[in-house]
Amino acid sequence: MRAPERSNRGLTRIALVSAILISAILIVLQRGELRESSTFELATQETVAPLAQLLAKPLRGTEAFFGGFEARASVYEKNQALLEELAILRERQARYDNLAFKVARYEAIIGVDNDTNIPLKKIAARAIGETDGPFVRSLLLNVGTRDGVVIGNPVLSTEGLVGHVINAGPNTARVLRLSDLNSRIAVASARSGATAILAGDNLETPKLSFVNQRENWRVGDRVISSGDDGALPRGLEIGIVFQEDTGELRVALSSRAEPIDWVWVSPYKKTTPPLEPNETPMEEAAEDEDAGTSQ
Amino acid sequence: MQGPVQKTLPAIVAGIALFLAGAISIGGVHALGHYMGFGLVPLIVIAIWPRHANEIVSLVFVFLAGLFTDWATGGVLGQWALVFCAAWGVCRPSLRSSAFAPVGFVLIWLAMCAMAVLLISLSGWFVFGVFPDFAAMGRQVVLASLCLPLALVIRHWVGSRIGENAAWGRR
Repeated sequence: MRAPERSNRGLTRIALVSAILISAILIVLQRGELRESSTFELATQETVAPLAQLLAKPLRGTEAFFGGFEARASVYEKNQALLEELAILRERQARYDNLAFKVARYEAIIGVDNDTNIPLKKIAARAIGETDGPFVRSLLLNVGTRDGVVIGNPVLSTEGLVGHVINAGPNTARVLRLSDLNSRIAVASARSGATAILAGDNLETPKLSFVNQRENWRVGDRVISSGDDGALPRGLEIGIVFQEDTGELRVALSSRAEPIDWVWVSPYKKTTPPLEPNETPMEEAAEDEDAGTSQ
Repeated sequence: MQGPVQKTLPAIVAGIALFLAGAISIGGVHALGHYMGFGLVPLIVIAIWPRHANEIVSLVFVFLAGLFTDWATGGVLGQWALVFCAAWGVCRPSLRSSAFAPVGFVLIWLAMCAMAVLLISLSGWFVFGVFPDFAAMGRQVVLASLCLPLALVIRHWVGSRIGENAAWGRR
């Protein structure tokens, strides 16, 4: 019986080395490539979603239970702080109303298009899976194309922007978080209007790169989406600027303040660039092609 | 001496458990002001893989479950497959001469975690050019280690249910 056992062991070794080599080749093939979702990834996402949802319910329930204790313990201090904040905000509200009236008058005089481009409609979703791994920071949502979710849609929590949808199946969608290595979005300082790119680098606080007008960025500035890239609407709350010891500007994300459970997907339509005079719209080109093949 | 069919059943059961653990790995808990992911939970299944399971069937499950985990977590394709295969190969269940001894098992587990962290760091650095968030990985190791006793209890229960005590390495 020794010989067959030995040959089996040899076969196992060959199979093991082959499996490791195939895995290594798959990794090598992705070097420098843009991360794109495959059909297999979407299918897997749809398969694991029910299990993840089942698992998420008791976990979120337990977190809320213990979180409730913690919140009750500090309820008096929080109430005092909120009352102080309320007094300040009431005074600010009066000033804001005056300013809003003044701005509306100016806009009426010069004929500015003052429509906001943040869609009013929101799709409520539950984060059923949260990957906060060494190289991936994403969320799995329990809504998909059937609910009207489209790739590129911004995803928000009560605190601010969480990320944007990078793939969507019929019942699930994956969200690339702002802190993910592959996340790049156009942002602006709400105070000065100076722009920059918010680049995720796998840390909880993404950095500001390609900073335009460095002198117009200050520690404590509120960061909002600038809408310059056409991918996100302008004005979505993102976070607060702080400076590292190295002098690098980073953003403390508002969405990191609380654990993410419920979120909203905003069905924002990307701004499409204007066509060149001799360019045919893609839909028309596809229709022409179909007509050609059917003849 | 066990027949091939008897050896195949534990491999299939462990393989299914590894797929389930791969699906679970997309979750996590918020504790002590941090998010702790279940990312390393599948490694537990490999650490407690039945000792006398059919090796080829085991390896097929380990490799496919690795790809499944890559797709489920939306990570680099091949990264978890590489980690699972390497962990299974280095800590090959059939090489364990006896049933689990507590100290020995903890050492095996820590060695597997260290290897997983090293492989993920190197492969991720190769693809993205940056090192990983070691704090997030550390939290994953802690959470997976906390899940270990529960996994051992489940393993004991499953092993006794399917009546494969010898194959599961408990005599």
